[in-house]
Amino acid sequence: MSARSLRLRLLLAAAVAVLLAMTTAWFAMTWLFQRHLERRVADDLTRLALQLVAELSATPGGALTLAKPPADARFETPASGLYWQLTAGTERLRARALWDETLPLPVQSESARWTTRSAAGPFGQRVFLLERTVRPARQGRPVLVQVAQDAQTLRAARAEFGGELRLFLGLLWLVLSAAAAVQVQLGLRPLRRVREELQALQRNPTARLSAAHPREIQPLTGAINDLAAAREKDLLHARRRAADLAHSLKTPLAALAAQSRRARSAGAVDAADGLERAIAAVAAAVDAELARARVASVRRGPGCAAAALVAVEQVIGVIEHAELGAQRVFDVDVAPTVQLPLAPADLIELLGALLENAARYARRQVRVRAWQAPGATLLSVEDDGAGLDISAEQALLRGGRLDEAGPAHQGLGLAIVRELADATGAEMALDRASLGGLRVCLRWPAQAPGAP
Amino acid sequence: MRALVVEDDAIVAADLVAALQAAGFVADLAADGETAWFKGEVENYDLAILDLGLPRLDGLSVLRRWRAAGRDMPVLVLSARGDWTDKVEGIESGADDYLAKPFKMAELIARARGLVRRAAGHASPLLRIGRLTLDTRRLSATLDGATLRLSPLEFRCLDYLAHQPGRAVPAGEIAEHLYGIGEDGDVNAIEALIARLRRKLGAELIETQRGYGYRLAGNAA
Repeated sequence: MSARSLRLRLLLAAAVAVLLAMTTAWFAMTWLFQRHLERRVADDLTRLALQLVAELSATPGGALTLAKPPADARFETPASGLYWQLTAGTERLRARALWDETLPLPVQSESARWTTRSAAGPFGQRVFLLERTVRPARQGRPVLVQVAQDAQTLRAARAEFGGELRLFLGLLWLVLSAAAAVQVQLGLRPLRRVREELQALQRNPTARLSAAHPREIQPLTGAINDLAAAREKDLLHARRRAADLAHSLKTPLAALAAQSRRARSAGAVDAADGLERAIAAVAAAVDAELARARVASVRRGPGCAAAALVAVEQVIGVIEHAELGAQRVFDVDVAPTVQLPLAPADLIELLGALLENAARYARRQVRVRAWQAPGATLLSVEDDGAGLDISAEQALLRGGRLDEAGPAHQGLGLAIVRELADATGAEMALDRASLGGLRVCLRWPAQAPGAP
Repeated sequence: MRALVVEDDAIVAADLVAALQAAGFVADLAADGETAWFKGEVENYDLAILDLGLPRLDGLSVLRRWRAAGRDMPVLVLSARGDWTDKVEGIESGADDYLAKPFKMAELIARARGLVRRAAGHASPLLRIGRLTLDTRRLSATLDGATLRLSPLEFRCLDYLAHQPGRAVPAGEIAEHLYGIGEDGDVNAIEALIARLRRKLGAELIETQRGYGYRLAGNAA
């Protein structure tokens, strides 16, 4: 996956977004947990402070007395982390746990309600402190009541909670990132189908993207289809013009051939020879161009099918009328139900090139077979001639093109067949025929249902 | 022999006329489809050489009109279009041969002579054997009145069998008749030819006499 990958971007964005959410959640939940802890500690300290206040009184001389100190043993253990302190002016009553230490006095003036704060406490401890000012006697001095607890326990609880929460949220991040990856995968799957269909479109200009795409990407597929239609139209236009040009050259070429014959009869033999060579070269180029234009317009489209037997008989009907085929026996073994996966006109072009080639090289007989096999449709044409020259066979298997056809159209027939086979998705194989000559076998693999 | 040349290009037309005349034909010229149709209707020709791309009426329409009117002279189609679909359409419209432009004049003359030769030379053109009728002038056959599409080779094979009443003809003899000199493997070709004829005529019309050969059903001596 490159940095330009949409999948990578989406995955990274999802992972970062989930990480940010998890981090925020960690801070928020830890803060909420701390507040919850502090409220619970404040409640406990308030209960203890109320016990202190209930037992607090002043002597007639104004001295503070505590009838019964709180029973919690931690108040009696020095530096235990739980402390109380009563302060009235310079007089101070303290829990034994404070030993010689004191709780910090409030910075603000006296408060008539319980307040909490965190402050530096005795023994270098940080304490969570609850305090308020009370008046045990109506006219007596105000007494500052303070109860404190070492904040270390709060910090430890918070750290423990934060650690466990971090682990949980980390796992949650992994799960959500995996879910995001699955979501990205699912979300991008239609794009993969678009890509596959675009590859089919690249192979076949007549193909189009299917309509079975999610609504969100249909504008994209629609635009691509419009573009493909425009491209195909331009292509067809260009090919039609090339074909028209090639056709329009044929009658002038026939006229040139007439002039050549006239020149020959007038004694200009060399000029006539040169002219005929030029005419033959132009005619070969025109035929190749027409064949190329024809091949270029042939593609295996969805739903294309042609009855093999009808096309075979039509083409044989033409060849039998020509001198070339008049002496050949055509042995046709094609069931009327066999359909080949290309348009009828394209099948006729393919069969024409194939059968004419076979008839040209056959001694007596040409055999045509077409049949449906599991997963494929096959067409074979064989003759009882001398067989294909091995170098020509190698050239074809190497990928001989129309341009490589020899002079006087030699090899053009099979080159056309090969290109038509390629264009219609067929595999072409050449081997020795049981009749003794060449056997050309074309195999069209069955297309998966719904394939473009 | 009279030939009608239908060609709109003046140079090609003049060349065709000159070559046909040199080959012993009396050639008439029509430069458009309407004229060609009219001449073919009212004159008797032994051969027509018909270009497909014509002004006023295209060549295939001319051909169809001739055939619809019962004009059965052999027609050699010339066309700048060499697609097989065009050739199929031409032959199915009633053409007897098809030659793409640019053509070699020697080939055109050879084909023209072949067409004329095939269509002529039979004093009694119709030969009836049971349900089968052979038209030796048109090289066509009908079975129970329905026209059969036969290749020249298939027709010659049937014609030979028809001329051997009451006799089973060995495959080797048929091959010798069709090909001149028999070669190894010809018997296989004849078997394939008979199989193809049986598909067109019906299996029962050509009987196999085991050990001897083939004969037409109902072709008694």
